[in-house]
Amino acid sequence: MSRRAEAAVLGNEFSSKEGVLTLRRWRRIIQIASLAIIGQWSFYGIFRCPFIVPYVSCQNCPVITCHGRIFTMFWGIWLVIPLSVLIFGRAFCGWLCPGGLVTQLFGSIALLKLRTRNVLTRYLPYLKYVGLALALSVWLYFGQPREAVPIRVGSFFPSVALTFEHATPVWLVRTFVVLGFLVLGLLLANVWCRFACPAGGALEIVRKLSLFKIRKNNKCDDCDRCLQVCEMGTRPLEHNCTSCCDCLSVCPQNAIEITGLRRNW
Amino acid sequence: MTVSFLIESENVSREKGKTQPLGRRAFLATAAALPSVVSAGPEFSQKTLQVWACGGLAEALIPANRRFREKTGIEIAFTGAFAAALGKSLQGSATTDVFAGRVLALAKKLRATGKMMYFKPLCFTRYVVVTPKGNPAHISDIRDLATPGVRVILAPDASPPGGEAVTGILKKAGIVDQAMKNTVIKGSCVQRTLEDLIAGKGDASVVEFRLTRMPSFQGKVDIIPIPESLFPPGPLTFTIGVMNSAPDKTLAGHFVEFIRSAEGQRFFEAAGFIPAESEEGARLVTKLGVKDV
Repeated sequence: MSRRAEAAVLGNEFSSKEGVLTLRRWRRIIQIASLAIIGQWSFYGIFRCPFIVPYVSCQNCPVITCHGRIFTMFWGIWLVIPLSVLIFGRAFCGWLCPGGLVTQLFGSIALLKLRTRNVLTRYLPYLKYVGLALALSVWLYFGQPREAVPIRVGSFFPSVALTFEHATPVWLVRTFVVLGFLVLGLLLANVWCRFACPAGGALEIVRKLSLFKIRKNNKCDDCDRCLQVCEMGTRPLEHNCTSCCDCLSVCPQNAIEITGLRRNW
Repeated sequence: MTVSFLIESENVSREKGKTQPLGRRAFLATAAALPSVVSAGPEFSQKTLQVWACGGLAEALIPANRRFREKTGIEIAFTGAFAAALGKSLQGSATTDVFAGRVLALAKKLRATGKMMYFKPLCFTRYVVVTPKGNPAHISDIRDLATPGVRVILAPDASPPGGEAVTGILKKAGIVDQAMKNTVIKGSCVQRTLEDLIAGKGDASVVEFRLTRMPSFQGKVDIIPIPESLFPPGPLTFTIGVMNSAPDKTLAGHFVEFIRSAEGQRFFEAAGFIPAESEEGARLVTKLGVKDV
């Protein structure tokens, strides 16, 4: 992050349109950089990981060519994510997750943005916790069974084809559910990140402990302008806020601010 | 592209800490001194060779492929996975230039169905009992896995070479029921169960020797041999062959000869296999009847 951006975290300089554009540009640059660094691992997890719950068994996975294993990203990422959530909330979702970038791009052309407040958008986000419970139980209780033939070495796409060809029905169901949600994202914006992602569910649980937060102050008049620009269809500090900062410039009351250490303490 | 295949006696870069038994090394050195198998410089019509192989061979084939590329400039597009799955794909519509598979019957089947042009012996595997470093339960023989109180770790749901074959060994040793009773972890992946063993969650397991040569596990377990008479013959054999779908069968054949040369076979020995081109390998070729149909 630039010196200006760092200063803004405490000083709320990004309330200006120029500042928000700068920040949004930074977010896209960081997302693309993250895609370059962990994107391969991310997509291996969906398409080639032989286990039901990806990203948690990399240390002894037979797939040699996966970046999670080659560069021991497994350990690094599982250190970075807890740290990031304690400092910046669900910023990993908004700023670093390669899958998040894909769903955001899909969401930008989605037919229904779902940027409204109703019973559906209020309760559907809790489906994430069902996904999280399922993932935890498969991983920790059922012993993380291997349900696809690991293609230990091979070019990505031919190996994906072989993985699908020789996977068990359980693996296929798991993968098509994930892919189904991603494709559904072309109809309902960010449906995977908002309503289904187990990792997002885990981060959501501890998000409120974060040091830095985007929040509404008492000038907020519930006009929902922030909701209209939010890719996650939420408002600052409410369920599913990923600290993306897109809402900073749109509030007519100037009621949205980033609070840091001083404000929290 | 012109290629010179001088099978040199030069040192092959091997992974740190990997050693070779003296007898085999001497044999391979002798073999390396023999005239080159392929010393001509033929023209090849393609710059990339597609190689499919049993995933267990990956640790040997990755450096061997790299060496082949250094010598020839030919890129190897390598896919390594459970051989039976790859074989099933090859019997369908999938194609590759070279296939190195486990289980002799699979190679014979590919020959019989006209998918494979020919095959040759590649290497052999063997099974061992492994314990955590220091062998805290004082295991000295596979039959000790039946001793009450010994915590056994197995992967019965792993692909057959790691699952069924190990169960077969326990059956032949006459201890399968008791060993299963002693099993504290039943996994679906041999590598994950070996990790559990190293972490001290069990006292003993049965795995292929090659696993103990993997960087993640090397030097982290004690190894106790298992008598060869207990091994099921099926998963012991690896072959390598040229497929009829290969556009340049000369190139595919040169790759096979490189892999079976003394230089190529060293990679397999370093990865924990018994090279087919060794005294021990020659004995197993005869014993297990590894001959093309």
